[in-house]
Amino acid sequence: MDRTEEEALIRAAQAKPERFAPLYEHHFTAIFRFILKRAADRDLTADLTQQTFLKAMVALPRYEPRGLPFKAFLYRIALNELHMYWRKRKEKVMDLSHAEVKGLSEELGMPEQEAELASLGRALGRLSADKAQLIELRYMDGMSFAEMGAVLGVGEDAAKMRTHRVLSTLRTYLSPRA
Amino acid sequence: MKQHYRITPQGRGPEPSDAEIARLADGKRLLYDYQRATRRPSQPIYRDPKAFLLLLLIVLIAWLASGGFEKEQKDGLTVPEHIHPERPTEQP
Repeated sequence: MDRTEEEALIRAAQAKPERFAPLYEHHFTAIFRFILKRAADRDLTADLTQQTFLKAMVALPRYEPRGLPFKAFLYRIALNELHMYWRKRKEKVMDLSHAEVKGLSEELGMPEQEAELASLGRALGRLSADKAQLIELRYMDGMSFAEMGAVLGVGEDAAKMRTHRVLSTLRTYLSPRA
Repeated sequence: MKQHYRITPQGRGPEPSDAEIARLADGKRLLYDYQRATRRPSQPIYRDPKAFLLLLLIVLIAWLASGGFEKEQKDGLTVPEHIHPERPTEQP
């Protein structure tokens, strides 16, 4: 689906909520996978995905594309839903595979050994939620800096700069002195 | 909020396929939830006799309370004697 086609679908859904179905069907799988990475449980993910689309539908009359992809708008709502869920639970637990942290461990110049990766997990846990989110979007979701900026509501350069700062914080946490 | 990242070889385990995920999509339920979330009450509050009486009672109590307060202010009962504006203050 190209940008103009999507914008036409958005305008149709803004005029008539019953026409939201094509947008829902097109983005459902991506949003489900995005939430599943963070929530792990399939039933919970299904509920949070449905809640994300419901909030998107309610907010749609006020939505303006401004050159940003509609998916970024959905990711932002999904992140808000996840944050609300974690705040209620007072805990955030993310299960990551070695393959998912491969890019991050390479960036940090770490050997991919069990003990090293366990310390990476502990270092990630020490980051604030906002900082950890940058790492997740970049290395676990594989987003470009432009996509990250669109999701977080900042510019591409700001997303890049913030990510590099978080990486240097992680290096500090992983250094033998820490 | 505490954050935990568990890094294991298998991670969350096997991922569902696109077809499995697509089966979970329920557009009809979404539209139903949307209509429920944005539905206006069928009857305006002032047309419900019980709600109307309650509103009337609240307005009446507020009116009586404000009237009583105004009367008290007129009688000067609420102004303590030591700060009465007509009483000259003592000069050293």
